[in-house]
Amino acid sequence: MKYTTDYGYEIKPVYGPGDLKGLEYERDLGDPGRFPYTRGYHANGYRGRMWTRRMTAGLGSSRDANKVLKKYREMGQTGGMCVIHDRVSSSCIDADHPRARHENGVLGWPGSSLLEFEELMEDIPLTGQSITVLGCCAPASLRLAYVVALADKRGIDMSEVHGSVTESPFSNPFGQTDLQPFDLDMKLFLDASEYVVQNNIRMRAGVVGQHFQESGGNNAQALAIELSMLKEVCSRLVNERGLTFDEAMRVPYQLVSIGSRFFEEVAKVRALRRMWARMAKEHFGAKSEKSCQLLIAVHTSGRTMTYQQPLNNIARCAIQTLAGAMVGCTAIDNATLDNAYAEPSPLAARMSLNTQHIVAVETGVADVVDPLAGSYFVESLTNEVEAAAYRILEEIDALGGLVAAIETGRIGAMLKNEANIKFRELNLKERLVVGVNHLVIPPEEEMFEIPVQSIEVSGSEAIATRMAEWKKTRDMAPIRASVRRLYADAKKGDRFNLMPAIIEAVKAYATAGEIIGVIRLARGLIYDPFAVIQCPFELN
Amino acid sequence: MIGLDSHTTGAEVVATLLRDAGFEVVYLGTNQTPPMIVNAALEEDADVIGISSHASNFTLIEELMREVKEQGLTDVSVVCGGNIPPKQVQKLLALGVAKIFLPGSPGDAIVEYLAGRERRR
Repeated sequence: MKYTTDYGYEIKPVYGPGDLKGLEYERDLGDPGRFPYTRGYHANGYRGRMWTRRMTAGLGSSRDANKVLKKYREMGQTGGMCVIHDRVSSSCIDADHPRARHENGVLGWPGSSLLEFEELMEDIPLTGQSITVLGCCAPASLRLAYVVALADKRGIDMSEVHGSVTESPFSNPFGQTDLQPFDLDMKLFLDASEYVVQNNIRMRAGVVGQHFQESGGNNAQALAIELSMLKEVCSRLVNERGLTFDEAMRVPYQLVSIGSRFFEEVAKVRALRRMWARMAKEHFGAKSEKSCQLLIAVHTSGRTMTYQQPLNNIARCAIQTLAGAMVGCTAIDNATLDNAYAEPSPLAARMSLNTQHIVAVETGVADVVDPLAGSYFVESLTNEVEAAAYRILEEIDALGGLVAAIETGRIGAMLKNEANIKFRELNLKERLVVGVNHLVIPPEEEMFEIPVQSIEVSGSEAIATRMAEWKKTRDMAPIRASVRRLYADAKKGDRFNLMPAIIEAVKAYATAGEIIGVIRLARGLIYDPFAVIQCPFELN
Repeated sequence: MIGLDSHTTGAEVVATLLRDAGFEVVYLGTNQTPPMIVNAALEEDADVIGISSHASNFTLIEELMREVKEQGLTDVSVVCGGNIPPKQVQKLLALGVAKIFLPGSPGDAIVEYLAGRERRR
């Protein structure tokens, strides 16, 4: 067994006052609600507002996902909903694309048109809960357009809608690809961000550290990457779009992954709050205190959910949820016992949501803000992970920032190396995982066969066929007009905001494949990233 | 990687493991179709086709098996790894997949198995 953190810091058997020499309460911790916000943003903690307890949805057709969302509401998911795209709509191709036919509705929601969003949201309110939709950067501009269009149709003022549907372009290099070039993703992200700021829309953009960590990154690396992603997107919003820093900070929220190494996870998030607050003030010269308070949502780690003895995952999920709750986050969507098999079954979803409810109302951990503060061990770990992350951050800065560091291959190599280390540690049993490399049982001794949700090929095909048939029934005149405008706008350079044209096209029921395809053409790329289908429109 | 799945960590870790063990590995990356994989296996004169799968895309593996048969690649084994539910495991083995490595498979087991699969030349 190794007594080290995942970033290699040697853990001592006991911690005491000597380990916190030099720690100054006001400077380094501060009361909750006071800079540098190590202890959180609200003096009252969860007493004012409990964290949003939500569960990721998305499998099968939009109508299937709608039923699941309604079921989740019955299970007490009322503060906010969270849906993830399938791989087809994440890739900005349509369900009837030849490459899509067997993958529609697999691992997510087939959200490539406003029609799909309308079906997803049928009888579900757009207000009174946060609307979160995840799944890559390029389709995110469409997601924002869906929300704007549906609010419009329902006669709801957009100022009453809140949540997060857009996403930073850094999902691509960290394992959630949308097949689009990075510069196009960055442009679309900046357009959407500028649009929400200028129109006073309370929709945030996910800056997703989770992808990096779930691909194998360690806690210190994840912290450094999270901060450097935020630094990059805020700098661009200020320098390239002329927003003030305080305006720019209305855009991002950070989605962090929390695993089972309880104290290390708590330390990581506390360090993130402190490091961001300092970066906001010292690097960006934040004028508003709000800009120093990074909104943090937690995803408990899907990677730690084992295939073997899946019921063990209930225990893992509970430990991770407890860490997420104790560290004081805004929202948690937790992994499920069947995470290694499929999207959550109703049983697994209820278990996970109930895990959150149990932590929230039965344990008492939500009664007190930052209950682990002052622990010699937790404060030491917070300092250690911060120091290790600053070292990586300096290295990234020296390479010219995160985009440059990715281009040199440094970040990819770091991630790959770390994934190999984790695999080796498991192989050598330096890290033990019950049921996987420790206390393994033969498959026939599995006492309980979990129900596994899946979508049949016929289901994927049906989504494809519906898309193809529906396309023929659309009123084509407004679609043609809107994509021509979009094409013309997309030729006006990166600084010209495409959101109004995208919203018009979405409202006319143009699809993801069509909208992103036309933007691609305007930028000199081919319409279809797979070079299989042709643009169906005359654009000049 | 078959289909649109982009969970590459497992495939890349196994590719590194095999290279370190002295195998020649041609990692095709993401967004591969069954015909693309079979063509690559033909071009590279591969002994084994390895597919990494993350709880999805099983129908594409089934298509791959048909493609392998149609192209007459009878002496090439198809090996899969990843989060594959037990029901699918049975189905894929019945279709001729030679071996499935589930999550948590020790590196040595993968290396030893593949060492035994090399075609005698």
